[in-house]
Amino acid sequence: MSLYQSARYHFMKDVGAPALLSLQKMRKKKPPRKPSPYLGPPLKCAGRLREIMTRHYYLSRYAPGAKPVAWVTSGAPVELLRVFDFYTVYPENHGALCGARMMGPEICSEAEARGYHPDLCSYARIDLGHAFSGKTPAGRLPRPDLLYCSNNICQTVLYWFKALSHYWDIPLILFDTPYNFEEIRDRDIRYMVSQFEEMIPELERISGTKFSETHFQKTISLARKSSVRWGEVLGTMKNRPAPMSIFDAFVHLAPIVSLRGLPVSMEYYDLLLNELRERVKSGIGAVTNERKRLMWDNIAVWFKLRDWSHLFAERGFNFVAATYTNAWAETIHYLDEKSPFESMARAYSLVILNNNLNHRLNLMERMIKDYQVDGLVVHSDRSCKPYSVGQYDLKRLLAERLDVKSVVIEADMTDSRVYSEEQARTRLEAFFEALEGEGKA
Amino acid sequence: MGVFPAQYPKEILWALDIVPAEIWDPPLQITSASAHLQSYICSVVQLGLELILQGKCKFLDGFLFPHTCDSIQNMASIIFDYIKADKPCYFFYHPKAPYGGSARDFYLQQLKDLADALADHFGPLHMSAVKERVQQGQHISRLVEDLYSLRAQDRLRLSNEEFYGLIRQGEYLFPDDWIPLLETHLNRDRGKPDKLLTPVILSGVLPNPPELLTLLDDLGVLVAYDDFLNGSRRLLVPGNDFKEPFEQLTEAYFAMPPCSTRGSSIERRRDYLFKMIDATGAKGVIFNVVKFCEPEWFDVPSLQEGLKKRGIPSLTLDTELNQGLSGQMTTRVEAFIETLNKG
Repeated sequence: MSLYQSARYHFMKDVGAPALLSLQKMRKKKPPRKPSPYLGPPLKCAGRLREIMTRHYYLSRYAPGAKPVAWVTSGAPVELLRVFDFYTVYPENHGALCGARMMGPEICSEAEARGYHPDLCSYARIDLGHAFSGKTPAGRLPRPDLLYCSNNICQTVLYWFKALSHYWDIPLILFDTPYNFEEIRDRDIRYMVSQFEEMIPELERISGTKFSETHFQKTISLARKSSVRWGEVLGTMKNRPAPMSIFDAFVHLAPIVSLRGLPVSMEYYDLLLNELRERVKSGIGAVTNERKRLMWDNIAVWFKLRDWSHLFAERGFNFVAATYTNAWAETIHYLDEKSPFESMARAYSLVILNNNLNHRLNLMERMIKDYQVDGLVVHSDRSCKPYSVGQYDLKRLLAERLDVKSVVIEADMTDSRVYSEEQARTRLEAFFEALEGEGKA
Repeated sequence: MGVFPAQYPKEILWALDIVPAEIWDPPLQITSASAHLQSYICSVVQLGLELILQGKCKFLDGFLFPHTCDSIQNMASIIFDYIKADKPCYFFYHPKAPYGGSARDFYLQQLKDLADALADHFGPLHMSAVKERVQQGQHISRLVEDLYSLRAQDRLRLSNEEFYGLIRQGEYLFPDDWIPLLETHLNRDRGKPDKLLTPVILSGVLPNPPELLTLLDDLGVLVAYDDFLNGSRRLLVPGNDFKEPFEQLTEAYFAMPPCSTRGSSIERRRDYLFKMIDATGAKGVIFNVVKFCEPEWFDVPSLQEGLKKRGIPSLTLDTELNQGLSGQMTTRVEAFIETLNKG
């Protein structure tokens, strides 16, 4: 690592980033949007979240040369990288940001111009498009020294990171998690633990830092606590009215995805949880007149987040649960500093998308009951095969078991070109009618 | 036993007298599968599920699902967890590259687990039988390799359609029946041909639609080698002399030609294509890729770029299984071959 770049990074961390955030606060703010009568007051924490994520992306520009930089998939066991002081960037989080800023099609097109098929995952196309063109709403992303992925969320991340590894000629480390067709087996755990042991010398070589068991245990402990806290945040939505909605949670999950294992994520969720508990005490809901409670399945449709939060709220419908946001609370609590490698293997192998569909069915059934859900919105995400294949059966089986109303919306998380507003509206209107009709007969 | 794509230790099945009937592209209209699968799922998966839903698998004694890609993985779960197939289902996870040393131990254990699971139902399994079948598997690899080699020189005088007809019989024939067929063709080495055909390499999942092979025959093109998932990538396995049969199979897995579904690097795939081109004098490469096949489509742009740098022309076709060739696709193939012939 270079001394100059290290000094520059620390200067930007201690002086540059705080100055930027102060400037942003001082900058003349846009007049606030007219508050919606259907939505509760916005979460006060949102400002702090913006600061954290702005700082994270801003500092990432100065990380190369000062710290080793890794691009990491959302399901990869990042705790191990923390020990080697990697600056971690999450292309999926960046993809979501591009989607929310309506830049998905533009950046995807850059990858398509290089031959990447429009049917491929749009997060991958955004990431490759960004690598080829530099386009991003985040200013600039640092070029990585390492690509670190796990196929516990999909095989796609491996194909995608292979393409990046080839393009930049940089190393790729895969954490290979055998898919749990049935129950997880001891030999799977042994295989995963051995992979961690094999990664350590490689990570030492790339980062120039020695592995520290104490540091690792502390990181594991912190990651578990923040995941538990995130679970408690989501758990507040069991209250009626729910103090936040899943549309909020889609945004507020950024720290547990991107900053997992760092103190800042824990601090942030402490803050958020306190605010939500206050709202519960005061009876403040995310939706002013919460009449029906819904569950979301699959990744968010980032470019529709704002529209849909209004569309549902004006009918008194609130999303109180989602399999997606739950993914970072469901298994990370298995982490245990007393057996860090085994527990990490278990935690990362048992995530929703590395488990058979029966597991997902049971999980959704449990969530529907726990969160007193009246209806289910299933996002059939063209980009995400492991999340989407099986959803038609899930919908049918949940209807049979729980008589829950549901609708399938065909869309994509970021590529608005494959989304039909008309078709989605028609389906949603029919769903709304079915929900409203409940109990009237 | 109905076996879904792509790689699995068929020698273990043979040792138990199980005939693997591979399910790649059954000639069916998709009607029932669309109630379970979205339209953006590839036709290999759609057709495989359709075959079961139409009740055409009643004669099978079980299913084996290798872990090939996200879509096959979830289809396996739909069949096992939701549709609840009324016959035993087996799963086979093979490790993905880049491999560490632990992948080898894991694969070896996977083989033993699969053998135990199958033996519980179809056993007993005798190690002598496994050994014999592993040797037979190595023999088949050598025969297929020799066939590919003669084929590259057009010494078999088989059309593209006939050649893949022969190779694909291995998807459902027991080795004792397939070997004589392979040997018969090998014994028909007809020497160097008088008329030279235009040699190309086909890459992708499988040689479907069959109309592509016919068109290439009509255009005087010889498919001199292939980089198909159901072709050279899994059939041309180098032999080894480990004494223990499971060790032999493990060694064979890690020595297979590179493949997108096993996570092989793009560099290895590119170099494999270069090697084939050098060995056969192929003038171009046609990527015949099944629509929505993510493992393949992610590699194609970098492979094409590598070929371009070496001055090798390539063409990419986005195909649906059993849907024939559209007029536009035919024109593109014709134009591509014309370019090769002029070059």
